[in-house]
Amino acid sequence: MIRLDNVTKSYLTLRGRKVVFRNFSLDIPEGRNIGLIGRNGAGKSTLMRLISAVDMPDSGKITTSARLSWPVGLTGGLQKNLTGRDNVKFVCRVQGVRRAGMQEKMQFVQEFAEIGDYFDQPVSTYSSGMRARLAFGLSMAFDFDYYLIDEVMSVGDANFKQKSREVFGERLQKSKVILVSHSMRRIRRMCDVVVHLDAGRATVYEDVLEGIKAYQAAGGVEGLAEQDADAQDVAGQGAAEQEMAAASAPAPVSDAEAAEKEAAEARAAARARRRKRAARRRARAEQLKAGGGQ
Amino acid sequence: MDRLERTPFKIQRDVLYALLLLELSSRFGKSRGGFFWVLVEPVAHLLVPVMIFTFVRARLVPGIEYPVFLVYGFLPFLFFRSICLQIIDATNSGQGLLAYRQVQLLDVFIAKTLAHSVIYAVVFSVVLTALGMLGYHVFPLRPIELGGVLVLTIALAFGLGLLFAAIASLIPDARAAIKILFMPLYFASGILFPVTRFPDHWVQLLSINPVLHLVELSRIASVEGYQPMPYTSVVYPLGLALLTLLVGLMLYRLRVLTKVTV
Repeated sequence: MIRLDNVTKSYLTLRGRKVVFRNFSLDIPEGRNIGLIGRNGAGKSTLMRLISAVDMPDSGKITTSARLSWPVGLTGGLQKNLTGRDNVKFVCRVQGVRRAGMQEKMQFVQEFAEIGDYFDQPVSTYSSGMRARLAFGLSMAFDFDYYLIDEVMSVGDANFKQKSREVFGERLQKSKVILVSHSMRRIRRMCDVVVHLDAGRATVYEDVLEGIKAYQAAGGVEGLAEQDADAQDVAGQGAAEQEMAAASAPAPVSDAEAAEKEAAEARAAARARRRKRAARRRARAEQLKAGGGQ
Repeated sequence: MDRLERTPFKIQRDVLYALLLLELSSRFGKSRGGFFWVLVEPVAHLLVPVMIFTFVRARLVPGIEYPVFLVYGFLPFLFFRSICLQIIDATNSGQGLLAYRQVQLLDVFIAKTLAHSVIYAVVFSVVLTALGMLGYHVFPLRPIELGGVLVLTIALAFGLGLLFAAIASLIPDARAAIKILFMPLYFASGILFPVTRFPDHWVQLLSINPVLHLVELSRIASVEGYQPMPYTSVVYPLGLALLTLLVGLMLYRLRVLTKVTV
């Protein structure tokens, strides 16, 4: 159970104080996968920051008996002047994991992140993709009741993505997620309950489809960037490009098959397109040759 | 595996331990010669004036070895300055750490204070030992009293640091102004030569500076036959430390420091 009781949260901006939540109360049901949806600026990310205790409310109380993760894949939590290894050590110590447990976590993150020798280099020398991989590995190294995901980027090449999906799917056997996303496809896939945020109010929908309907009625659309990222995902482009794009969240294993099928279809389509183009090129060349003969 | 329940006390201890090691390793791990550079700063602070004033042959402080006079002035000053500045900076540099829910800003402040106290304690032990080997009479007259002065210094630095950090997070532009305040502090604390060489009405004005009192107290506790500034008092820095701690912690409790301004 995660309970927000009479929470007020505002931010000081250059143009005065902006109130995101005023006397906001919400009970998040227990043992369910939660999807947080709402239009841009509805306060999804602020709610996430409050739940994850990255930020504190101006007034009011947030209570929980569950163990909540830090925002999954958050690279801001990494200390840049420390090595990847020292960052893992730090998080282990904060979580109260010592000695043998720490060794185990360290090995897990090192193997998972696949950053090679960079594991013993300062994080400041990492590429953004390497940082994200380290941060994601770090999140996956610990067991939580809830993993908090704010439009997580799964990064790296197809291989790394597949691995992320598998490990995350494994975690989801025992744990739940709280997911912020603009992608209704992903919300449908991963969540049992939807919390719709609109103008500082929250409505809990036990029926996901109903929640999505309410969101669309309030003028919400699927994030365009999201769809682009998905499209790139399927088209199977170069690893570098995928690293740049904040691509889709790791899906549970059960959906891996579906994703594979989609990918296969896309590959087939691409092959067909290539064949067609090649045929056209050949035809044009022949035409030219014929023209030259005349 | 991780399902062990931790008591709040254990969590607090784990977090402080983690942050302390983080602070120490980021200070020493930055370059190969991390410790060397930490040591160099106070040594340079000592060496430059010692050389200048020894060659000028001015008898600044009659009856007292000048390097000893300097080192016991720098001792509380560097403790104070580094802790205070660390806390002011921590409101920015510590933000990333708050991603982990067990870590609170106050933990970061405490860890930085502890780390820097340890660092400077070690540094000054090394410097004092070196001076002792050169034949100076460095061993403090009343070591426990000196320890008390240092504890008071740390308390005042922590309290003022909290207060400054609160001001800086309410008025972001004030951060630079506060840092500028620290520049004249070096000269207003009577470190290079005793303030008693100034006219009396100047000394009265300078005695507003609590660090000057700490510097004088440190020398009284350590150097035999030292003639302190006539207005030196324990009550003033002690009262100020308690007051700033009270107000600073109150502001922290009111979440003034933890509000992120966007």
